[in-house]
Amino acid sequence: MASKSTTGLFLRGFISTPKPRCSARPYHSYTHPPPPGPFTPVETAILSASLPHIPTHGFTHTTLSLGAKDASYIDASTNLFPRGAFSIVHYHLVTQRAALSKHKHILETSSQPGAKPPGIGAKVKALVWERLMANKGVIHRWQEALALMAQPSNIPTSISELSSLSDEIWFLAGDTSVDSSWYTKRASLATIYASTELFMTTDKSPDYSKTREFMDRRFEDSRVLGTVVGSVAEWVGFTAHAGLNVMRSKGVRV
Amino acid sequence: MAMAMASKPAIRSFLRSTKFPCPYASVTARHFAHTPFRAESRPNAQPTNHERTTHFGFETVAEAEKEARVAGVFSNVATSYDTMNDFMSLGIHRLWKDYFVRSINPGSSSSSPPSSGWKMLDIAGGTGDIAFRLLDHCTNINNSPSSTITISDINPDMLAEGRKRSLSTSYAHSPRLSFLLANAEDLHTVPSNSIDLYTVAFGIRNFTNKDAALREAYRVLKPGGLFACLEFSGVTNPLLDAVYKRWSFGAIPLIGQLVAGDRASYQYLVESIEEFPKQEEFRNMIQTAGFVVPGKGWEDLTAGIAAIHKGIKPVEKS
Repeated sequence: MASKSTTGLFLRGFISTPKPRCSARPYHSYTHPPPPGPFTPVETAILSASLPHIPTHGFTHTTLSLGAKDASYIDASTNLFPRGAFSIVHYHLVTQRAALSKHKHILETSSQPGAKPPGIGAKVKALVWERLMANKGVIHRWQEALALMAQPSNIPTSISELSSLSDEIWFLAGDTSVDSSWYTKRASLATIYASTELFMTTDKSPDYSKTREFMDRRFEDSRVLGTVVGSVAEWVGFTAHAGLNVMRSKGVRV
Repeated sequence: MAMAMASKPAIRSFLRSTKFPCPYASVTARHFAHTPFRAESRPNAQPTNHERTTHFGFETVAEAEKEARVAGVFSNVATSYDTMNDFMSLGIHRLWKDYFVRSINPGSSSSSPPSSGWKMLDIAGGTGDIAFRLLDHCTNINNSPSSTITISDINPDMLAEGRKRSLSTSYAHSPRLSFLLANAEDLHTVPSNSIDLYTVAFGIRNFTNKDAALREAYRVLKPGGLFACLEFSGVTNPLLDAVYKRWSFGAIPLIGQLVAGDRASYQYLVESIEEFPKQEEFRNMIQTAGFVVPGKGWEDLTAGIAAIHKGIKPVEKS
């Protein structure tokens, strides 16, 4: 079940989950205490103080420096972040991913008695939307963040954050697949999320309704594509099987 | 004391006969790659059981003696310092130093109007090559003409050389530049919590008590202040390391003997590099002194021949 990366494990700790019946040998990641995140306490202090400066100063060294000042550090302390402004981006990604597990109204299946519990697909969509809305305050600066994430030295972290986010959403939605769809689900969700996020940076519509429509279309595409792929696979399987049987009926030893 | 780069002692032989007495006169000539042997037959300075000892290259000497012997090495090389560094490192030490200063980004300020600038302390900075770079970066890149630096060195000859060189820079006689003759293990003239940036480039290797120097750095730095150290370190790639060891233990003392007629000083140089703690160990020493380190704590330069170590003095939670 899910959880490849340590960051994934880190987040699992926040989730209230049923205790396993036999807890002598904890197996699932959520039965373990959360490992420390990628940021030390001092880094967290400076980075969290930097966040309020992003809307004004963007994802820049100035923001980092102002955050350090607010945390009663000095300009020289920004040397704590060898990757400079990218650390703010990374911090934003990690904390917003962690915050997803707090959306109880989406995660709890029986919120209203009698109401039909939302399916996994609906939960995934709702979680993606919540994550996108978490970018609302910095969306006018988000292209700076995307530029930083696309720098070659930062790409491994960016990609791993994206895949952790995708994994996190599927996990929180309650996906328990153990076949190859585990990978395709995460890959397609990552694609949908990344493209919708990019769309959102240029969206000026009220309440991001255009982004919402865009996201819905991407999910629909993905569903249609999934259906088509499934149908094609079924047809290929049937044809191959039939062909084999025809050969057997002609006496070929296969 | 400053950067004991590979080179300094070369000039010694020229000077020996003229100006300075050589502290090595009694040391027997050292031979190619025979350090274990030499360690057994310690030439002089047999420490008694009561004395605290330290390394001088591969030799074990009394702590009290190391300072004097290191002083001897640097007194003799002060005037030819950079020339010899260039000769030995093929100019790469300049790239390291430039990168070191650039990565620190001294003088940066987020407040407007700019704050009072950074207060910097360059330890073992005798000839000033790090200090002038830091000031240049403050002035030209970060527009911080109010940043100041104090060049500190234990060795008056190195400081005199720095003073002389400062005359040819725009910082001559300016209040931005001051000199301090002090032992880095005891900076009592520098008030606690007063420094933004403490740098030591190619110097800490020669300190008798490195932990004491780190504690002193921690004391003088402001909360949030930066400790930055550029020093020779361990080559990470085993193959490269073999080549590098071959070069440093074989060629460097040989060049010293041929060019300067002084094998012993060159031998000290390469041995002191070898004796200096490797990346992880030195990082742990920095952490033990109370600093928090960024990331893994160091950055390798040229495959680890040198490394930049940094530490931030954390702000006490009130």
